[in-house]
Amino acid sequence: VSTPVITASPLLHQPLLTDEDLARSRDRARVHRARRQHRRWRLLWLLVGPGILAMLGENDGPSMIAYASDGAQYGLGFFVPFIPILFAMAYVCQEMCMRVGAVTHRGYGELVLQRYGRVWGWFGAGDLTLTNLVTLVAEFVAIRVGLAYFHLGSAVAVVLGLALVVFTLSGGRYWRWERIVLGLALFNGLFLVAAILVKPHVGSVAGAFAFTPFPGGSFNTLLLLLASTIGATVTPWMIFFQQSASADKGMTPRDITHGRYDTAAGAILAAVFGIGALVAGAALLAHGGPGIQGFAGAGFPQALEHVAGGAAGAVFALGLVEAGAVAILTISASTAYAAGECVGASHSFNSSPRGAAVFYAANIGVALLAAAVILIPGAPLLSIALNANVLATVLLPVSLVLMMMLANDKGLMGQWVNRRSTNVIGIAVIAFVGSCGAAYGIDSFLRVTHVIGA
Amino acid sequence: MSLQTLPADVDTSGAIPERDLQAQERHEDELIMHLERDQFVAETSRPVARAPLSASARAGLWALRIFVVIVSLMVVYTFVSQLH
Repeated sequence: VSTPVITASPLLHQPLLTDEDLARSRDRARVHRARRQHRRWRLLWLLVGPGILAMLGENDGPSMIAYASDGAQYGLGFFVPFIPILFAMAYVCQEMCMRVGAVTHRGYGELVLQRYGRVWGWFGAGDLTLTNLVTLVAEFVAIRVGLAYFHLGSAVAVVLGLALVVFTLSGGRYWRWERIVLGLALFNGLFLVAAILVKPHVGSVAGAFAFTPFPGGSFNTLLLLLASTIGATVTPWMIFFQQSASADKGMTPRDITHGRYDTAAGAILAAVFGIGALVAGAALLAHGGPGIQGFAGAGFPQALEHVAGGAAGAVFALGLVEAGAVAILTISASTAYAAGECVGASHSFNSSPRGAAVFYAANIGVALLAAAVILIPGAPLLSIALNANVLATVLLPVSLVLMMMLANDKGLMGQWVNRRSTNVIGIAVIAFVGSCGAAYGIDSFLRVTHVIGA
Repeated sequence: MSLQTLPADVDTSGAIPERDLQAQERHEDELIMHLERDQFVAETSRPVARAPLSASARAGLWALRIFVVIVSLMVVYTFVSQLH
């Protein structure tokens, strides 16, 4: 474990300074200047980041395929209002992460480990590593699917994903990393462009908000759809990422209002772009949509090309590349934060690779491992990708319960503890997510083992 | 320009002039002012105290953990079965 280089502070009453402190204080200096000069938009620009990245990072390859698949199989009816409800749930969870990070200046992994013991800390990190690895494989698959539309193969997907991870890590500044990934994440709007290109009937999209009953199908299919759609919206990596990134950015209790704007903006953008993928997918409903295998070849982009023209197919394919690439960056970062926090090593983008070797090694290592899997001939990529969201949903309740405990910890949070209303909504979210994931897991297991009929 | 014509306060020894060091220190002082005390790495490196958990809270956490592990194993088993 490498330790950060510490230099003596010029102010005797101040603690020892590291390069990480200096880099963070430069960012904070700009925030303080904007606040002093009452430049509201500048202040907002400086403070947004972790919330938008967590939400748009979760609009990843498997999620966008899941939304498009929902649209292609069932149309708009149930899902247009369901997606915003899920992102409202995600807002409640992510706001807590941001608040705990801003108040304690510590990541989720280290707080759980120190506050509730090593067993819970390592369990959480274990859950995260497992789901992150599976999800990262799915992200590389999504990039591959997008690139396949342009006749490019797996090797290009691997090189592109890994090059992005290495490029964004160079520079040794959180601010630089955040702005590059934020710039890439805004291209998630390509799914909205794809939705416009398929020329949907505006009345039918608006009418879908009437919340029509759930479409027909078996109980297990319904549970799978619920579990995978929830897994496309709230996941363990988002919890680790937003709390650690808020602390790494240097947010303080004074920035919580802006942190809420950031998280809300991310939730709204992600819901709109998610509905975009759903609407684009729904264009295939009457054109063999239910039969499309999204990850087998370039299913959705090619199908869209036949129905709505080459532009719609190309934009959807580029959207998949973007969704996979941004998720690779944010999910690798969450793994790196968790690794550094649990090992007790330096874990900040503001540290140099020499000062935070575990953090940088985990960031690149987990992406490398996932990239290696998609190069294995005959690997069950389709199944891995489809099960990534479900596994995340099943493992999520423990992370959420510990997050609620942290956000209610008066010793840590002081006056910033959860309000009663936040707790009521949070408990409802945990109960809903837990029961959907568990019901799917148990029902599927009983069917596979022939305890109940298929 | 020869050395003799340089102003008296110009340092030609190659070392960092004292006033530059002072300016750098002032700059660092100003930067430090922008961080809260508990934001410094030296502070965040200190572990927080262990939270006292009641026996019922510990039992509840363990029950949830065991339940989640069992359901996860079911999902993984289903996933592996479907591969064949």
